[in-house]
Amino acid sequence: MIILETKGLYHDFKGLKVLFDVNLEVKEGERHAIIGPNGAGKTTLFNAITGTYMPSKGRVFFKGKDVTGSQPEQLVRQGIGRSFQITSTFSKLTAFQNIRIGILSKRGVRFNMFRYVDDMKDITQETDELLRRINLYDARDVPAGILSYGQQRSLEISMALATDPDLVMLDEPSAGMSKEETHYAVELIRKLTEGKTIVIIEHDMDVVFSLADRITVLHQGTILASGLPNEIRENQAVKDAYLGEMEE
Amino acid sequence: MINRKVKWVLWGVMLILLTFYPKLVGPYFTNVFVHFAIFALYAVSFNLLLGYTGLFSFGHAMYFGAGGFATALALIHINGCSLLVALFMGFFASVILAMVLCPIVSRVSGTAFAMLHLAFSMLIYTLALKLRKITNGEDGVSGFPIPALNIPGVVSFDMRDSTNFYYFVVVVIGISLWLLWSFTKTPFGQLMVSIRDNAKRVAYMGFKVPQTKAMIYAISAGFAGIAGAVLALFQDVIAPDFALGPGTSFQVILITMVGGMGSFFGPIWGSAIFTLLQEFTSRYIKEVELLMGVILIVVMLYFPKGFAGVLALIGSKVFGQLPRKTTAEDG
Repeated sequence: MIILETKGLYHDFKGLKVLFDVNLEVKEGERHAIIGPNGAGKTTLFNAITGTYMPSKGRVFFKGKDVTGSQPEQLVRQGIGRSFQITSTFSKLTAFQNIRIGILSKRGVRFNMFRYVDDMKDITQETDELLRRINLYDARDVPAGILSYGQQRSLEISMALATDPDLVMLDEPSAGMSKEETHYAVELIRKLTEGKTIVIIEHDMDVVFSLADRITVLHQGTILASGLPNEIRENQAVKDAYLGEMEE
Repeated sequence: MINRKVKWVLWGVMLILLTFYPKLVGPYFTNVFVHFAIFALYAVSFNLLLGYTGLFSFGHAMYFGAGGFATALALIHINGCSLLVALFMGFFASVILAMVLCPIVSRVSGTAFAMLHLAFSMLIYTLALKLRKITNGEDGVSGFPIPALNIPGVVSFDMRDSTNFYYFVVVVIGISLWLLWSFTKTPFGQLMVSIRDNAKRVAYMGFKVPQTKAMIYAISAGFAGIAGAVLALFQDVIAPDFALGPGTSFQVILITMVGGMGSFFGPIWGSAIFTLLQEFTSRYIKEVELLMGVILIVVMLYFPKGFAGVLALIGSKVFGQLPRKTTAEDG
């Protein structure tokens, strides 16, 4: 079953065409990587799908429903979680509070003004559980902004997962990480996203080929190729546009 | 656990002090306290926006004044309007005004939010000056009856008596502050600080940011309205210049920043400092704001977390532990 689909998606910023007729299909349960050179429009594609802005043209379907132009919070409630390339945590709140916001959202605790949040034992417990799984329990009460970079990235990814989405969209989870950190992040993603559909933007080809079931190559705002990792590796157009450069 | 015991003892001492305060200091300083309490509530309601949600308003006085005027007008125009009804009129008037402005102001933040409030509050201020038939222009509404607090068949307190009024204020403002404090501890309170930190991410965690801001805004306005209502009852006069003017909007900024906007209790300290300064310097200089301004500069330069921050620092030195790292306590 196709969980996410874009049909003829266009986006331009004041005349600058960034996305050009993008038709993306993501099947339920697959790990779909989107690769492409800088400026190919990968993050713009994410933004157009997740409600940061309305695409200029085209439609986005999630679970068969037209969700074009929906607000981010509506998409989250329908089951899309998203992380950001540039770390976007609540830097002055503790790691615990960062995750807890997601757990509160998942449990539908939104406009509750009659109970103290610290007294909600089940919420606290679930938050602590997730913190343990991502090895941040020791840093539970440390403000996110002063965690190490690797920890912040882990938190960033985990916040997207805390709302328990069906589709997880990760925008360069390994951005700026060292080799070891990247390795750790990949393991983390593997562990946390079991059984979920993920769409991941990634520059690190090792990550892409080790993680993805399916790869889409975006080039100058349009899809150059889409297929299994082996097909992409052998694809001449992709080699010319992107992969070839990497081997030099 | 010692800390908790110390806390309870402190609360007990404070309660006893509050109970016997009028007897100890006489009517003059009882009234000084009432003034302090009014501005403490006003500043705490303001800090809900500034310190907790990160929304800087140049026009919070419009809610303070709206509450005051609503209460005063209710007492004039409604025959036999009871004290609590008048008080609630103040609350509702401000909430309604906030709800009218919400659709616009909850969608902006930063400078736009600040400037919009300057504009709206000036508009309300000018209206109050010009609608003479209702507000009596510059002179304001005065001489309205202050009803007694009646519990039918049980007891009746004359609110013109300064001691009775003092107890009334302690209860009303005490409850208001407690409600606001509790509010900051709810999941909703958690959303406030999250919005301050990173509003975009709050949306990506599945929350409606403008609606959440609107709720916070209305609550903040409502409690500012209660503060204004108590002011009207206290002085038996409510005038645009004192309750609605730009000076009152800036005053609350001064109070909150000097007291410390990073903490819930900061604005209360700020109000105490401001009230005491006004009390002891007004014989020598006319513009207490001038002095407050100088203090604000010193505070901004050397104690960016305000008086509450200084207290936390001293506390951590004395008790030998780090200040608690909780949500609003750093800002």
